[in-house]
Amino acid sequence: MPVSQSLEEHLKLDGISISFGPVNVIPSLDLSVRKGEMVAFLGPSGCGKTTTLRMIAGLISPSSGRITVGGRDITRLPIHDRDMGMVFQSYALFPHMDVTRNVQFGLQMRNVSKQDIERRSKEALELVQLGHLAQRKPKELSGGQQQRVALARALVIQPSILLLDEPLSNLDAKLRDEMRLQIRALQQQSGITAVFVTHDQVEALSMCDRVVVMRNGRIEQFGTPTEIYERPATAFVANFVGRTNRLKGKVGSDGQLVAAGQPLRATTKLSPGPVDVLIRPHRIALQPSSGPATTGDGNVVEGKVSSIIFIGDLVQYVVRAGDEEIVVEEATRRERAPLGVGDNVHLRWSADDTLVYPDDGK
Amino acid sequence: MEIHKTSWPMRILVFVLFLYLLAPVLLVFPISFSGDQVLRFPPTFWSTRWYVALFENSKMLSAFSTSLLLASIVTILSIVIAVPAAWVMTRVKFRGRDLLFNLFTAPLLLPTIVLGLAILIVFASFGLLATMRGLVFAHLVVTLPYALRILAVALNTQDQTCEEAARTLGAKPLTVFFRVTVPMLIPGIVAAAALCFLVSFDEVVITLFLTGPRISTLPVELYNYVYNQADPLVAAASVLLILLTLGVIMIVERTMGLSKTFVK
Ligand SMILES: Nc1ncnc2c1ncn2[C@@H]1O[C@H](COP(=O)(O)OP(=O)(O)OP(=O)(O)O)[C@@H](O)[C@H]1O
Ligand SMILES: [Mg+2]
Repeated sequence: MPVSQSLEEHLKLDGISISFGPVNVIPSLDLSVRKGEMVAFLGPSGCGKTTTLRMIAGLISPSSGRITVGGRDITRLPIHDRDMGMVFQSYALFPHMDVTRNVQFGLQMRNVSKQDIERRSKEALELVQLGHLAQRKPKELSGGQQQRVALARALVIQPSILLLDEPLSNLDAKLRDEMRLQIRALQQQSGITAVFVTHDQVEALSMCDRVVVMRNGRIEQFGTPTEIYERPATAFVANFVGRTNRLKGKVGSDGQLVAAGQPLRATTKLSPGPVDVLIRPHRIALQPSSGPATTGDGNVVEGKVSSIIFIGDLVQYVVRAGDEEIVVEEATRRERAPLGVGDNVHLRWSADDTLVYPDDGK
Repeated sequence: MEIHKTSWPMRILVFVLFLYLLAPVLLVFPISFSGDQVLRFPPTFWSTRWYVALFENSKMLSAFSTSLLLASIVTILSIVIAVPAAWVMTRVKFRGRDLLFNLFTAPLLLPTIVLGLAILIVFASFGLLATMRGLVFAHLVVTLPYALRILAVALNTQDQTCEEAARTLGAKPLTVFFRVTVPMLIPGIVAAAALCFLVSFDEVVITLFLTGPRISTLPVELYNYVYNQADPLVAAASVLLILLTLGVIMIVERTMGLSKTFVK
């Protein structure tokens, strides 16, 4: 039976941990990255993304645990033998070398013949469309160009893994969109396994095959962008990825969920106790309460519009329901008479879109 | 009216201060072209006789070449020793590192006369007095702390991710050092070298203990000369020294940009 190439496990972290002084930054982390896939490390500042990446690169060594690549243990392997291409947030181009020398550096460390060095560095620069700037020094390049040199320098050595630490955070919004597509295209062309650190959920969801959501040195969830977005494993993930309404709720001993002052339906299994109920703003439909009040198998909540924020292609309604404020997002539409502040409305969403998590006290 | 930073009283004050500081240096120029037998200002008539006399004074000339050779050797040795030392001090973590660093740079704080006496006592027992080797060692005691301090500051402010990038690209530690760390350190090295050269070339106090009839440096020779007679020859020598200093600073400025090198 042919085994799909993409399911082959490539990079594996096995219970790695690290402390800086008394602070246990990563308590114990397990992760398995498949060959050829791009995985995002997503999480708030200080959660340990860079630290984990640096352990993979070998720039710091874990206090315990094992790192393997293709089954080979590299935990104690010196950095220069690891064969990792790394793109730094600050690019870290060598200021005293021109673009070509920067790109050739890694090849020169590898006993590649002179001819091959010339050819491969040239190809790498073509790949990132910088052939015409080969003689420039890094400080004579724009941020986006430096970024692409850094990428070419990391890719030209054909590393077994490409590590990127917030490579887009120093670029302006437009360039960021462009580089996002380019990096993803390059990664897929070369079929290289990549780890992409970011605290930007759009980058993580749009570029990567799978996403690791991290918090305080632990993995909250590891899954495809759709899984992360549609079925967040914890309230933290739901809050961090995408926007949500968060209602205080309660599950009674009979298993009935109550929030915003009324019973609600959810598809999640519930155990009694205080809970957080999360609903994405754009999954809620708004109707004037004068309209037909079909119940169906979803949730209907009555409320009153307390403010309206117009954001162009989107309108945000803040609706007061019971003692909660619920934000609803709608694409700008014309078919319905516009709602106004003070209007009584029905909020409607399906049981599937009702995410319920035990109250974590935060 | 608000008194601004560049208001007139302030400007005049700054001007007077500079004049006070630079007057002796500026006075040396006209005096060096004096035709008089004695140091006097203003000179009664002009001539270049003291420059001629200076270049005919074999003692001065040999002292000058000794100083030049000494300063060059001391500068090269200082850099060769201080670069790896500063690297260890800033890149290798070990216990007592700060203590060691402070110990190495302590001579900066000691009165030179104390250092001179200490060196005299030690060197006498090793037969290093009035030798080139002795002078080199003595000057290194003075210049190394400067070099170490400048280079350590430069290494600390240098972007270390470049070194990390080189390592991930497959460079072994020694390769990283020579191909990334040192080239990026060039401004610091030039600054340290210039300072070492000038400090060594200027050094009088310690050198006085170690020189004799057999070997002497220019500053010491000038000191001895003035002690015996006061004629404008020393002014001519001073002018040449000032020009040499300016020359060194110009080289630094040309290669690196002065503010970039000395002001961090
Ligand atoms: N060398 C170090 N010494 C001490 N503490 C460190 C060191 N490096 C990182 N830390 C700590 O470890 C934690 C994780 O840091 P890390 O840089 O991995 O965060 P991050 O997820 O990359 O955050 P950011 O998004 O801000 O880059 C932080 O609390 C940080 O203060
Ligand atoms: Mg980081």
